[in-house]
This record gives sequence, C-alpha cells and structure tokens, in this order.
Amino acid sequence: MADYARVDLDAENQVTFELNGRQVSAPAGTMLVDACYAHGVEVPIFCYEPRIGPPVGACRMCLVEVEGMRGLQTACSTPVRPDMVVRTDSPAAKDGQEGVLEILLMNHPLDCPVCDKGGECPLQDRSFKFGGGKSRFFEGKRHFPKPLELSSRIALDQERCISCFRCVRFSQEVAQDGQLTMQERGVQSQITTFSGDAYEDRFTGNIIDVCPVGALTSIPYRFVARPWDITNTPSVCGLCPVGCNTELTLRDGDVKRVTGRPDPNYEVEEGWLCDVGRWGFDGDGGITRLTRAIVRDANGERHTDLTDAVAAATVALRGASKPVGVLLGATATVEEAAIALELAGGALAGARVARLGIPAAPLAALRATPRAQLDEIERADLVAVVGGDPGLAQPITELRMRKAVLRNGARLVTIGSRPGTLADVATHVHAAPGALTAAVAELAAQIGATGRPVVLWDEAELAAEPAAAEALAEAVSANGATRQIELGADVNGAGLRALGIPATGLLEALEAGELGALLTVRADPRSAPGRVAWEAALEGDVPVVALATHADRTTDAATVVIPVQSLLEQEGTLVSMTGRAQRVRRGAEGPAGAAPGWEVLIALGHHLGAPPAYRTASAALAAAGGRYAGIEGLTYDAMGVGGVELPRPAADHLAADAGPARAAGSDGLALVATRDVYGGREASRAPALAAFHAPAAATVSPATAAALDVTDADTVTLTSPYGAASLPVRIVDGLSDDAVFVTLGTADAAAEALMPPDRGPVRVGVSVEARR
Amino acid sequence: MPLLNSVYRQREAGKPLVTLDDYRAAGGYQALPKVLAEMDPDDLQYEFMRSGLRGRGGAGFPMGKKASFLPKDSQRPKYVVCNADESEPGTFKDREIMEFNPFQLLEGITLAGYAIGAVRGYIYIRGEYEHQARVLDRAVAEARAAGLLGTGLFKSTFDFDITVYRGAGAYICGEETALLESLEGKRGQPRLKPPFPAVAGLYHSPTLINNVETLAALPPIVEKGADWYAGLGTEKSPGTKIFCVSGHVMRPGNYEIVLGETTLRELIFVHAGGLRPGRRVKAVWVGGSSVPPLGEQHLDTPLDYEALAAAGTMLGSGGCIVMDDSGSVVRTTLRLVTFYRHESCGKCSPCREGTSWMEKLLQRIVDGQAGPDDLEMLKALFGRISGRTLCPLAEGAVGPVRTALELFPDDWADALENGVPVPEPMLPVSS
Ligand SMILES: Cc1cc2nc3c(=O)[nH]c(=O)nc-3n(C[C@H](O)[C@H](O)[C@H](O)COP(=O)(O)O)c2cc1C
Ligand code: SF4
Ligand code: SF4
Ligand code: FES
Repeated sequence: MADYARVDLDAENQVTFELNGRQVSAPAGTMLVDACYAHGVEVPIFCYEPRIGPPVGACRMCLVEVEGMRGLQTACSTPVRPDMVVRTDSPAAKDGQEGVLEILLMNHPLDCPVCDKGGECPLQDRSFKFGGGKSRFFEGKRHFPKPLELSSRIALDQERCISCFRCVRFSQEVAQDGQLTMQERGVQSQITTFSGDAYEDRFTGNIIDVCPVGALTSIPYRFVARPWDITNTPSVCGLCPVGCNTELTLRDGDVKRVTGRPDPNYEVEEGWLCDVGRWGFDGDGGITRLTRAIVRDANGERHTDLTDAVAAATVALRGASKPVGVLLGATATVEEAAIALELAGGALAGARVARLGIPAAPLAALRATPRAQLDEIERADLVAVVGGDPGLAQPITELRMRKAVLRNGARLVTIGSRPGTLADVATHVHAAPGALTAAVAELAAQIGATGRPVVLWDEAELAAEPAAAEALAEAVSANGATRQIELGADVNGAGLRALGIPATGLLEALEAGELGALLTVRADPRSAPGRVAWEAALEGDVPVVALATHADRTTDAATVVIPVQSLLEQEGTLVSMTGRAQRVRRGAEGPAGAAPGWEVLIALGHHLGAPPAYRTASAALAAAGGRYAGIEGLTYDAMGVGGVELPRPAADHLAADAGPARAAGSDGLALVATRDVYGGREASRAPALAAFHAPAAATVSPATAAALDVTDADTVTLTSPYGAASLPVRIVDGLSDDAVFVTLGTADAAAEALMPPDRGPVRVGVSVEARR
Repeated sequence: MPLLNSVYRQREAGKPLVTLDDYRAAGGYQALPKVLAEMDPDDLQYEFMRSGLRGRGGAGFPMGKKASFLPKDSQRPKYVVCNADESEPGTFKDREIMEFNPFQLLEGITLAGYAIGAVRGYIYIRGEYEHQARVLDRAVAEARAAGLLGTGLFKSTFDFDITVYRGAGAYICGEETALLESLEGKRGQPRLKPPFPAVAGLYHSPTLINNVETLAALPPIVEKGADWYAGLGTEKSPGTKIFCVSGHVMRPGNYEIVLGETTLRELIFVHAGGLRPGRRVKAVWVGGSSVPPLGEQHLDTPLDYEALAAAGTMLGSGGCIVMDDSGSVVRTTLRLVTFYRHESCGKCSPCREGTSWMEKLLQRIVDGQAGPDDLEMLKALFGRISGRTLCPLAEGAVGPVRTALELFPDDWADALENGVPVPEPMLPVSS
C-alpha cells in the first residue's frame, strides 16, 4: 500500500519492541505506523503519506498507546524505540481512534451513495473498521458550494474534505508547483489555489489518488462507474519511455480511468503519474481511431474485415519481387518486434527490419556504463541532467529530481541549451546546441568530487554529439560510484534495440530501390523525423501494409491498413529507458474491427506459409526470450507486476547502427527538437487534456527574436537541408541564442519535416512568412 | 503588596521612553556594552539561568534553560525570535512595552542574541498592533543609526540586527511553531514537535523564541545582576510580572507586581480599583482566556506559578479577566469557545471540528434549547479533544469549559432550565 512506507525487516540495526503483546522488530528510525503495518497490524491513517513527505500529525487518526508516554501518541510520527511497549487495540487507543473518526465524520456529508469514491474510500473503510458505528452529532453540518471545478480535470467537493493536507502538500512538496493551499482556517478551511485560478499543471491528477475521501475526483470519471462495476488491471503507461506503472479501470469493455498503482513501483514512478499518462487514455478512441481495415487497389478504396485485410496484406507482401522492409514504430511491443523478426527470417526471408528511432552506435559505450533505476536519484548527492528537458519528455523523472533536491538536499545541475522545467531547483549550466562536449568535460570534474552522482542524459541530444556521448561514458565509468540514466526518446526504443533491431538501413535500401514492399507496425514514417525523405522513398509503387491504431499519414496512403489494438487493449512487453521489461495488459476491448498487433503478425505468418510455433503473446515472448540475448529468459512470469531489469547492452551492441557522419555546419540557427508529452499527438487527441492543447511553435530566445526581427505575432518558415516547415513564433527567456526550439510528435509533424531520419544535428534558415 | 515598577523602565520612569535619548536617560543601553566588553556568551546564558526568569508568554519555561538547548556546534545561523503576537484575550502587556519602551525590548533581544550567537532577531508582532509596529520600526532605525544594531556592536566582533515582521491577525501565530511558519511566509499552523525550535526553528535553524516581556526583562537582569532578580519573588517564581486586569473592575490596566507577594484579591481590589458597587466576584481567568477560571473562594491565592497551579489554574500570560456576578459564566464560556473555534487553525481534526461542536452545543445551552444529555455530550467531548491535538490551543478551549462546569454548577443548571438572557450593558468605568 502506498499509504505506508516500505519496511525492510531484514535490514541491519533492527529495533525490538512489543506490539500488542508480541515481540517484533523494525529498523531504527521506522515510524510506528509502518512498523505495525509490516507486522500485519493496521493503524488507521489519513494525513500520513510517506511519499509526500515527513509526517505532519494533522489528522490524529493514528493514535496509539505507548507505555510510559503521557496520553495517546500519533503512530505516524513516533519512531520505533528499543523495548517500547505499544498497544494499538487497547481501550484507550480504540477510544482515540473512534473519537477522531466521530469528529471527522461530524461535518462530513455522508453522501457516499452519490460519491465517486464510495466503495474505494479510505474514510469509509476505516470508519467501518475503526469507528464507533454511530454518531452523537446532531447539530447542523457545515456547508460549502459543491462541487467546484478545481481545474478542468478535477472536481472539488469541499464538504467531503477532512483537511488531511495531502493535496496541498503534494502540490507544494512533490510537484512543487506552488499552487494549492488551504484558505480560511478552522472548520472553514478550504482547498484552493493561491491565485484563485484553476489548478492547471502537469502532475495535478495525483491529488485525486492521494485524497483519502471523495473531495477530489476526476471530472472525466465523474459518475462513470462504481467500484463494484469495475475491474482494475495493473499495466504500464505507453506514452513515454519512463514506463510508469499504472492501473487501468475497466467497465463495459472500456478503460474509464487510469490511476497510479496502489502498490507503487518505487524503482520507476513511485505511484505518481503525469496528467497525460492519467488522462491520455481519453484520446485512444476518438474520430481518428481506425475501426475497420482498409484495402486500396486499382478499384479504389474499400473497408473490409480483418481476415480479408490480412489476405490482401499477404498478397501485397508476397507479390513483391524484392525483399520486404519491416518498419517498427516506437510503441511496437517486444512481442510484435520478435514476431516481425521471425517473419523476416522465414515467411518474408531476406526482409530488412528496422525501427523508427535513433541509431544506437554512437550511444553504445554510454549505455554500457553502470545504470540506475529512478529510485537511485533519491540517494544521489549530485544529480546532473545532460541535454533534453526531462520534465516534458520523461515527465515523472522530474518528481524524483525535485524530491532529491527538496527532501535530500542533493545538488541538481542541468546542462544544455535550456533550463527547462527544473529551472527553479537546478543550477543551469548553459551549453549551446553542439557544445555539449566541453560542458561534459566540466561535469566530469564535478562527478569526481562527489560521493554518489547520478547522470541523466538525453538520448537525442547525445546521439547528435557523439564526442560528448563518448566523453560522458568515460566520465561515468571513471568513478565507480556514478550511475547513469538514459532519458530515452522512444517508448520501446530499448526493447527494439534489445532484439538487435537497428534504426538505419531500411530507408537507404528503399531509396536504392532494393525493397519490394513495406510492412509498418505502429510506425508512421511519413510523420517521423526524416519524413520528407520517407515520403520521397515511398513515392514509387512500393506497396505498404500498415498495422496502426489511429489514422495517420502512412495509413492514409497505405495499400492495406490493418487496425490493431492500442496498448490499453492488448498484451505486450515494453522495455523502459532504464532497461526494465514491463507488461502492458489488456484493459479495454478496443474496436471490434481491430486485433492485437502480435495476433495480426502471427496471422500473416500463417498466410505466408510459415506459421510461428506459438499462438499467444505470452508464448511469443517466451520464444523470443529463448532466442535473443538482450531479453534472455524473459517471460510474463519473470516480469510479474513490477517488471524486471534487463542486462545492460555490451559496448559494441549494434555497432553498425550509425547514421552518416554529419557535420552540423554553421549556416543558420541550430534546431533543437524535443519531445513534449504534453504537446504531443496522444495528448492532443484527448479531450480531457484540452488545457494542454496549444499550437506547435518555433520557440526562440528574446535575443534571437530581436536578431531575426520577429515577434510572437509572426509566423516563420524554417528551412533545413531536409525539408521546411512554417510555425508561429514563441519567445521564451533563458534559451540558447541562435537556436530554434521545436516540439516533436505534434499532430502537424512540422519539426519532423526539418530533420534527417537519424535526428542528428540540424541547422535551419529562418524567414518571416506572415506578420500580424 | 505594593506595585514594583522596577523591571520595565517606562513604569519606573513614569513616562513613555520612545526616543533613544529618553531610554538612555532612564538607564538604558548600559547592559549591552558591559556584556560585549566583559562577558562571553556562555557566561551571559548562565546569568539568565541564575536569574530564574521564566517565560512570560504563557508556559513559564525557564528562559536561560531554553537558551542552553540551542546546539553550540550547529553549522547553520541562529536566530532570536521575539513573540509579540499577543493575541490571548485579556492580554495587553507586551503592547505597553513595545509602545512606550521599545528600546528595552531591542536591548533585550540583542542580549539574548549575543548569548546564543545569533545573527539576527525578528519581532513577530500581531497585525492589529499597527501603531506599535511603527514605534518599533522607528526605534530599530534609530538604534541602527546609533550603531546599536548592525555590524561590530560597541567595537566588538558581534554583528546583530533586528527585523520587525507584522502578522496578519491569527491567534495561532502566537504558538511558537505556527509563528515560525508564518514568519517564513507560510500558512500559520503549528509544526509537529520534535524537532523543537531550539534545534530546528526558523528556516530549520536553531532558534530561541521568547515573549516580549521575557526578553525586555534581560537588560535590568544584566545591570542589577541575576541575584537581584532571583531575590525578588519566590524561589520558583522569581522576579516581577505584569498582570493585565480587565473586565468588571473599576481601574483596568497593567500592574507590575512581584510574584508570590501579591494575592489575586489585592490585584483586583487594591490595584485595579475593585468592582462596581454592590457586585461580587463571580469568576476570574487569571492568566488569559485559555486558563481555567477561579471563583470567589480563590481570591486569596498568591499570584505565582505554583500557587495558581495549586488552585487549579495557570499563571499563563497574566491576562486577568474579572467577571462579576451580573452575568452568566455559561454565556462567557460560549464567547470564549467561539473565539477558539474561530481561531483554530484547522490543522488537526479534534480541534478544528471539536471546537465547532462544543460551540454548537453551548449555543443551544445558552439559547435554552438543550437538555442534560447535551451537558453530558459536552463533557464527553472534552476527552475526545483534550490530549489528542497537535498544539495546546485546543487545550485552552477545553480547560476553561471543564472548570466552569465544575465551579459553577448552578449557572449551568439554570441555563438548561431557562437559557441565558442577554446581559445588561456595562456601567462606564473610571480611567
Ligand atoms: C495557541 C497559542 C497561542 C500563543 N500565543 C502567544 C502569544 O501571543 N505570545 C506569546 O508570547 N506566546 C504565545 N504562546 C506561547 C508560545 O508558544 C511560546 O511558548 C512562547 O512564545 C515562548 O516564550 P516565553 O518562553 O518567553 O514565554 C502561545 C501558545 C499557544 C499554544
Ligand atoms: S481535498 Fe482530500 S487530500 Fe486535500 S485536504 Fe481534503 S481530504 Fe485531504
Ligand atoms: S490544536 Fe487547533 S490550533 Fe492547534 S494545531 Fe490543532 S487545529 Fe491548529
Ligand atoms: S496519520 Fe498520524 S496524524 Fe494523521
């Protein structure tokens, strides 16, 4: 349970004490509530939430009797001491707990029948378990207007609030967005923002999870289901490479809600989710969702069923006189990739398999250095971020870094072309795009001087500066204590690499006319970096078979489109940027006209006359685990609910997977393209995330704007050797001068048009297109 | 016993000492240079300890002992915080000191700062004391200009300055940890203790917090010696204390008396001019509204910490509220509980909700809408609030009600029968 902290009963320095007449032990410093819970004794709590911070002693729910101490003690703030005698169930302790519950329920509206929390409410549960069963309060209750919209996504029912301050503390101490506060005092206390504006920020949804009553509820989930109508399935978020562990709430075949895990994965997300991970599911349906297969031929376009579409796909792929290309997108699962590889070795012999992503070779040495999981950030004394803007691209990492600084006093340094979302807690060391190498050398000196450094590095930016990547690899391995964490660019990039799939080769073969057909799996090359080159290469009569969830530029032009289930609907394995293999689970049924991607690929194998030896995702993974060293022995059982960490790749892994050597040149401005989960396609599809929807922009520093003579009312055309795009100008302080910042993954894929397929260094010319 | 106006110089001088010259003329700023030239901080702390001076903010904790709790080897800066929130109903002694004798407070804070090695002092003054805050601001500026605050005081290596910070009108901000939160710019709510402010106070640094009256007593203690101060009063309650007498007395005001030498009767009838003609004492809240009331039978209790505790109450802040027999203790009790309900910060459940419940019950009793069950419910609530809260505010709400029930059963019985009529207006009192 997230409510209680984990207790290691095997750790050194155990303290022995008496609990309800039993001799038990817990490590020194453990709070009594946690020690009790570890020994099967539940002491009720409300305000205590060790993930948020140290105890505050507000609700007084956890009263217990400690011999020799006057009155009752709050077990959440009393550490275990040797030989203390604790009673949690004595008449005095029970009177304390009953008394607090009676008092908490006094002003509580008891509107459980119409409360979304009813049935999964800690206040309800603890009232049943620890309460007196009857109230003696006959006076009028306090009233507040209800419900209020705390934000576009969160409803506040102030009458239900028990003032545990968890939400306020989350905002202040975990997200550190400085927004929530309690207004007024005493019984009139009310949750609000300082400014009185809506609580719009990037991690707000977590306050719904931590609220122990129905005071904070999700607006999209309001009145949608009761806890006895739903099933909850542990899964993993497929929206960024962090791989936060989630729980999917299913009703009537649909995902109705995504929450943090009640039993968090402390090595990954610690139970928190970003708002896109929480509400992004809302965009999984919608008008762009593919619900029926499409076949395009000389007779035009027709909708059809899956069997027919697979048959048509077989014809398209088998008819090719040259080898076939198989292109895997960033969200293709390990199973799907493994089946694709098997097809390439048999049914589609000679096929060339590649992934949409960043070539591995420049980063291989760095990836081979000692790696950490996210929890290591908390134990670091120096946390360095090299490149990127993790708060936007790998959101949950931001909360760990904030925790490291605020709770543990770690020093946080961000190195790169923009301070990013951590600006308020980090020391920013400016390094212009292309100039990371010198900054890394400086960092190396600092690493040497500290005890437990953790370095987070941005995959895209270091791949674009191989010399910096090499220098960082050296710096990390120089000091035996340093650990690195990759800030990956692609959701399952690590999983695809683990199977040995390169990012290069396919497009080049296509361009050289060596391929006869293309099979895409959750890949949209026409919206990916290098899209202009992809479009040109696909210009001819190469048939394309696309397995996709949503309509995109590739499915719009494909010969055969086969709808597949999304990562909320099918089984699969994703490998996170820190090398954790974790399971996505089937939470929703998905459109009737879609099938799991792995199933479609197996069916293709059957149609092509080389059926794989398995029929399920689980068996497909097990087979792959027996074949590929990168995922050796991997099975669903081995992953369990929390996933397993795969071995680090060797320093020569995928040594040939390199793009062409590219000199950045010096004409024009450097282009910095970042993935922004909040501004991406998935978020823009979700109505619940409307507050984040904003048009893509070309963002520049004030000085650059002045040099270009543009204002944020203008639209500019950016031109690179790879393509062009026009975007409105946005001006932001603190950015590198002489650089243009753009967002990857937006619906218009403007940034992608400016880039080569390997994403590596790009400079752009800027011309003013329109002035307002 | 007569008044002893010997600690707080405006009383001795019989006039306000709001300029530095006036304060100096009255003997001020002699202690500080002497200390800086002759004593090391530990010796000064020892003087404080020997004087026996106890905290005048309410709890009566020995001041020197509290100063000695600050860690000597801390890497962090240390602070002195002067608690000038003075929001306890019936208490207005700090106001007099700040308004009429600000320099004695500044000198006292500076002495305390030297004793603990502090870098800065803060005066947290209640928002309503706007005029007093201005007086303090002016005094601080004058002291700074005269080199009495700032760097290298009296050519020593001791640097010290004082900042006046105004609260925003919350009683709870007088509680030391809530005060620190507020001073840090946060919502004024008590912190969980430990850690105590001496170890982790303002900005998590070692902090000495004392009341205005406590700190202002330091200069005379240094000048005249700890022995002189310890020689006043009783062994456990040495020194003098200002009592603020208000309510149904003819001469409300501040009276500085030697602890243990004056009885409650003398305070009310000799110093405060007695009651209105024909009236008798009904109830007295000797130490502010948070202490259990005393009745007529307690009038001969000497005013010191121990004797008042033995009588079932506390010396508290010395805010002595006197009520004659013209009104009902029940209505007064309701009024006090309304105050605590209104001032409960809302952090902890038993106080936040419990004070509201008590108020609702009491209101029905006063309105004549209650029965004996309600009185029982009220008593049952005491146990569910008392001893279970985060800070002592709730204790201050419960204690007086509990004692009022014990001491004045007739008032309660009458109220249950008939409710409590609105009292007649007060007669004008002499100045
Ligand atoms: C609810 C509450 C209100 C208080 N208000 C004040 C106050 O207004 N002034 C004050 O000096 N102490 C007040 N105190 C006491 C302080 O917490 C603290 O004990 C005192 O400032 C210490 O100074 P002293 O040792 O000099 O008395 C209050 C305590 C509580 C619990
Ligand atoms: S809204 Fe919920 S989390 Fe916030 S203080 Fe109230 S009960 Fe606690
Ligand atoms: S006892 Fe009252 S004032 Fe003190 S912390 Fe609790 S709610 Fe706040
Ligand atoms: S859980 Fe211990 S006081 Fe709230």
